[in-house]
Amino acid sequence: MAAPDELFCWEGDWGLPSVSTDCLVVLVSVPLSVPAVVTPEGADSLAFISLMEEKLMPALIYTFWIEPKNYVDVTRRWHAEHMPFPLNFFLPGRMQRQQLEKLRLLRGDERLEAGEELEKELYRDAAECMNLLSQRLGSHKFFFGDSPSSLDAYVFGHLAPILKCKLPNGKLQQHLKSLDNLTNFCTNILQLYFPKDGRGEAHNSPRKTSPHSEGGDFDHVPNKRRKQFLSALVALGAMLSYALLTGMVSIQHAHHEALEEPPDLRDIGSHHDHEDEGDG
Amino acid sequence: MSLAAEAFMSQMAAAEPWPENATLYQPLKEDQILLSDCASSLAVQAYLRMCGLPVQVFCRANAEYMSPSGKIPFIHVGNQVVSELGPIVQFTKAKGHSLSDGLDDVQRAEMKAYMELVNNMLLTAELYIQWCDDSTATEISRPRYSSPYSWPLNKILAYQKQWEVRRKMNAIGWGGKTLEQVYEDVSQCCQALSQRLGTQSYFFNKQPTELDALVFGHLFTILTTRLTSTELAERVKSYSNLLSFCRRIEQTYFEDKSS
Repeated sequence: MAAPDELFCWEGDWGLPSVSTDCLVVLVSVPLSVPAVVTPEGADSLAFISLMEEKLMPALIYTFWIEPKNYVDVTRRWHAEHMPFPLNFFLPGRMQRQQLEKLRLLRGDERLEAGEELEKELYRDAAECMNLLSQRLGSHKFFFGDSPSSLDAYVFGHLAPILKCKLPNGKLQQHLKSLDNLTNFCTNILQLYFPKDGRGEAHNSPRKTSPHSEGGDFDHVPNKRRKQFLSALVALGAMLSYALLTGMVSIQHAHHEALEEPPDLRDIGSHHDHEDEGDG
Repeated sequence: MSLAAEAFMSQMAAAEPWPENATLYQPLKEDQILLSDCASSLAVQAYLRMCGLPVQVFCRANAEYMSPSGKIPFIHVGNQVVSELGPIVQFTKAKGHSLSDGLDDVQRAEMKAYMELVNNMLLTAELYIQWCDDSTATEISRPRYSSPYSWPLNKILAYQKQWEVRRKMNAIGWGGKTLEQVYEDVSQCCQALSQRLGTQSYFFNKQPTELDALVFGHLFTILTTRLTSTELAERVKSYSNLLSFCRRIEQTYFEDKSS
């Protein structure tokens, strides 16, 4: 695959160069070879890619976008934090609706909704797929011999987000971690091609003393405080100006009148005195 | 099928042996059935013949609606109804008939992967050609699909099905492909299958498995179905080992039909 001139992809997090599966596949594929379909490796690549698209991808979509806890706590928050204002308000929701639609069409069920039954089915298919990949990989370093190929990129792109992202509902991650050879495979590729990100995560982890599981929160707290302070100021200013325009003005006038009255009384008093004197 | 229903079905299936009066339902052969459904049905028939399980084929205009999952074909065995090749393979396994028991783990992984390849590429390409290619849809698919029904139901059902398939194509990223690209994908898939088959009689060892049944179903149907152009059949014909594979299975398991 020729190196592209410019590649737009989603940012990375949790020790990965990118959080999106498709971006990961492209990023890893750039230095790799694509075996021709006429070879056994090429034919097997095509077959296993089809297997992953059919069995693993629906579960990935579900676990990141449809499962309620995961979506609200992690996916939506991450995307909103990494998008500029005002896109962060509606774009994650729109992406979620697109993913739900895609899952519905893939499964051929128009009335598909998040639920335990669906989750069990999808995770069972995904677990079977991961088992099959693990059986095919065996004890080798890569799927075809000692050098990685496009199939390795594809597998990595799908498995790495599952492995690295800490989700509230982490059943897929548990199953993947139980398959040692796949876990080692992912870490291996990460170290080989993205050593910066791998080291970056190692530096971040001692700093993560807060109970929040997402690494982003620690850095965003000062900004959040500043934003909260600013928004409180804005709210106060709005209330003050509203009060000035309607109520405060009258209060100020009454205050002036109150200030002026005692002199009036004194004046009247002195007038009376003068009058008295004038009369007397 | 939900997990609970599947477990229940396996239990029920294991209880009784395969009866003599098992039936398979598909749409009307002469006028109604389309390429993709015909391929899936032939795959199931081939699989059952390979297992040595007798089944009678019934053609019904409303087979699609009778099917529990909406897909063709489905079998009616005893008091159970099962549709699609995957669940049918599981069902026969529960009754003690299986073609893939002799495979080791790596081979089983490869078999499942190649079955997904056929479903992902060949079946999707068939659906694309039927419903997303305007000339085929107008001349063949829509008239055939709605042939049992009268106006205006035939128009409504045909366009509804077409719209449904086109939405699915868009969702999986095939919506933007041209016909030429789809033919290329079919060639690539056939090349992968041809590569895997090599000079062997069947894909694994000397015995056929469900993968052989599935590949036979699709390739044989493509070779023997008349479409608006012969491009699809030509692409398959360029792989001689696949041609002889189809001929071999037809002669071995469908002898009575080929006379």
